[in-house]
Amino acid sequence: MTIYAIIIATLTFGAIFSVLTLSLNLQYARGGMINFGTVAYFAAGAYAYAIFTQEPPSGLDQYRFGFDMPWYVGFLAAGVASLLFALVTGWPTLRLRGEYLALTTFAFAEVFHSLLLNERRIGNGSVGLANVERPDPTTLGMSDTVGYALAAVVLMLVTAFVFNRLLKSPFGRTIDAVHDDEIAAQAVGKDDARIRLQVFIISAIPIGFAGALYAMITTLVAPAMFTAEVTFFVWIALVLAGEKTIVGAILGAMALVLFQELVKGVPFETVRGAQIAASVEEIVTGILFILVLRLRPWEKLSKRNAS
Amino acid sequence: MNTISRKLRNMTAIAAVAAIAAPSFAAADVTVGVLVPLTGELGEFGAIVAGGVEVAVNEINAAGGTSCGMLRTVIADTGGSAEKGIREATKMIETEGAVAILGPTSGVMVALVDLAKRRQTPIISPYAGTITLDELGGDYVYRTVGSDLGDGAAAGLWLTEKGYKSVAMLVQNEESTISPAQVARAALEEANVEITDYVIYNPGQPSYQAELVAVLANNPDVIYLAGGQESGVTVMKEAAVGGFEGEWLLTADLAVPQIFEAVDPRILNGRAYVQLAEPDNSLPAYQTFAAKMMMETGAAPGPFAANSYDMAMLVALALEGSEGCNGEAINSAIRDVTVDGEMVSDFAAARDLIAGGTNIDFEGASGPLTMDESGTPAGSFLIMRAEDGAWVSEKFYPATVFE
Repeated sequence: MTIYAIIIATLTFGAIFSVLTLSLNLQYARGGMINFGTVAYFAAGAYAYAIFTQEPPSGLDQYRFGFDMPWYVGFLAAGVASLLFALVTGWPTLRLRGEYLALTTFAFAEVFHSLLLNERRIGNGSVGLANVERPDPTTLGMSDTVGYALAAVVLMLVTAFVFNRLLKSPFGRTIDAVHDDEIAAQAVGKDDARIRLQVFIISAIPIGFAGALYAMITTLVAPAMFTAEVTFFVWIALVLAGEKTIVGAILGAMALVLFQELVKGVPFETVRGAQIAASVEEIVTGILFILVLRLRPWEKLSKRNAS
Repeated sequence: MNTISRKLRNMTAIAAVAAIAAPSFAAADVTVGVLVPLTGELGEFGAIVAGGVEVAVNEINAAGGTSCGMLRTVIADTGGSAEKGIREATKMIETEGAVAILGPTSGVMVALVDLAKRRQTPIISPYAGTITLDELGGDYVYRTVGSDLGDGAAAGLWLTEKGYKSVAMLVQNEESTISPAQVARAALEEANVEITDYVIYNPGQPSYQAELVAVLANNPDVIYLAGGQESGVTVMKEAAVGGFEGEWLLTADLAVPQIFEAVDPRILNGRAYVQLAEPDNSLPAYQTFAAKMMMETGAAPGPFAANSYDMAMLVALALEGSEGCNGEAINSAIRDVTVDGEMVSDFAAARDLIAGGTNIDFEGASGPLTMDESGTPAGSFLIMRAEDGAWVSEKFYPATVFE
């Protein structure tokens, strides 16, 4: 039963964060764009979902809009919100390269976080939007946790499939061309700025959907849930399992969430035990990260497969 | 062939690790989840809450347990994160079979409302004063502490009674600090006390000089500081450096003894007051609890310890008062054991009365626990002042003051 719970939690949250690593993989490993603001697109999706499905404000609520629409409308709105946010942030920033782009996207994410926190008319400020509407998987004859784990895995697989097809298409080869040699790509008539913006926008859409699913699972959206920690978690996951491959992006996120679940899988019956486990978790995560980067197991694996 | 044997070997190793990781269930019959922040800004409170629950569970089990069996607790850290809270609560319910979840903070509590109702597992908090729960609470969602609205009313009342002419309000940008501050502000305005500044600041900054410049320029008699432990400490130090010589009214997050290690006691002694939801220390039930706490832990009860003790008591008595041994049964009886019955404060006595068919009105260590529609009891509040590096009682406001 413990193993079952660990598997379900890993699949649910691992798959959601995999969608983010897949998108980051497309932007960074293939598009050459360092995005340190991933969490903002995730938050845009989650908030859009909550606002579209939330009832209009009443009583102590301070948010201005709640459209009380069905979950699927909110889900679509999440993708659109993330797309629009990518368009707004991508257009001025994608002329930048390397660390300048990284810092600018990070700044955009911080500005967005600050806006959600301080402008209470968007989503109740630090209180957030609670009791977020969500579909009930039990109507399909499956348990709640299994239903959402399945939904997360489906979203992850669809994202992986679409990105895989995209990268294998002529458009994918154009992305690689722009990434490998921008001047050469321009010389054969490719508009590199436009292609980079397209990649940025396309990769943001599934992040928005993942945000909506995250809001359904947590039933709460609040600024405290969308901090830079999420961005760094996704980056660590991407680096951990090796860049450039879709499988690697998925495995990295899954492995990180699995590790968290394994540490927490042991039930503690004393306060001291739980305190020690909580402290040890972050230390061990750091040590493991250093070891994996030092030993680079994925490189050995690919060499073994090649031979 | 080698590949197959390697795979088998790997799978055996994974199975062995999984077997080690799998918990061995204790021979207890009823499991209660304790979901608290043991890390992060509220880590100090989480340990106090878990400790309060532990004292109650020990007492219940020493008295022979409930009619459903002995109580067992499983404890997990949320770090104050809603996502972690949901993951841990789900695991507690599904894997450990927890019949109730005790101890979440405001943000986690709000995120767990839906889960509690779907899984028919009551969640109870000893310190989630959030006004969001004034609307969402009441069914499977309970508190043993008053709403933040009462917190603000108490602060406003004390500041007015103390006779301050001018008050500056520095409020951390969090719901748990903003909502009581708004109530306190309204009370001060009604009493014609000058509010020199009302500043909402974001926590996590290395310095709060920008916020303090305007506040200190107006030289208020007192600064009402509704902040967390990290930001509050920095604000007080920087205000002292900036020449502030007035007094402080701090909110509950800063009521911990550790504050005297983080801030120079000269800044606090004789000048700082703290306001928190606190039981009536003169109640026999509280004194009995405090003695037990002292005996088991060697320390006096910390903030919300009595409220935490009461959560576990309510769960145990609700199990006694219902016909089942699950969350649904607890939810059906939890209100009944705190209203319209014989007043009782001891678990064993209450259990015997219930077994004899007598209705009980359990008065906990934190005071009367009769709940309103939102599953919240009326709160009592205490103002403490800093004296010789410790907090000592200054003024107690019973719940009746705010009715």
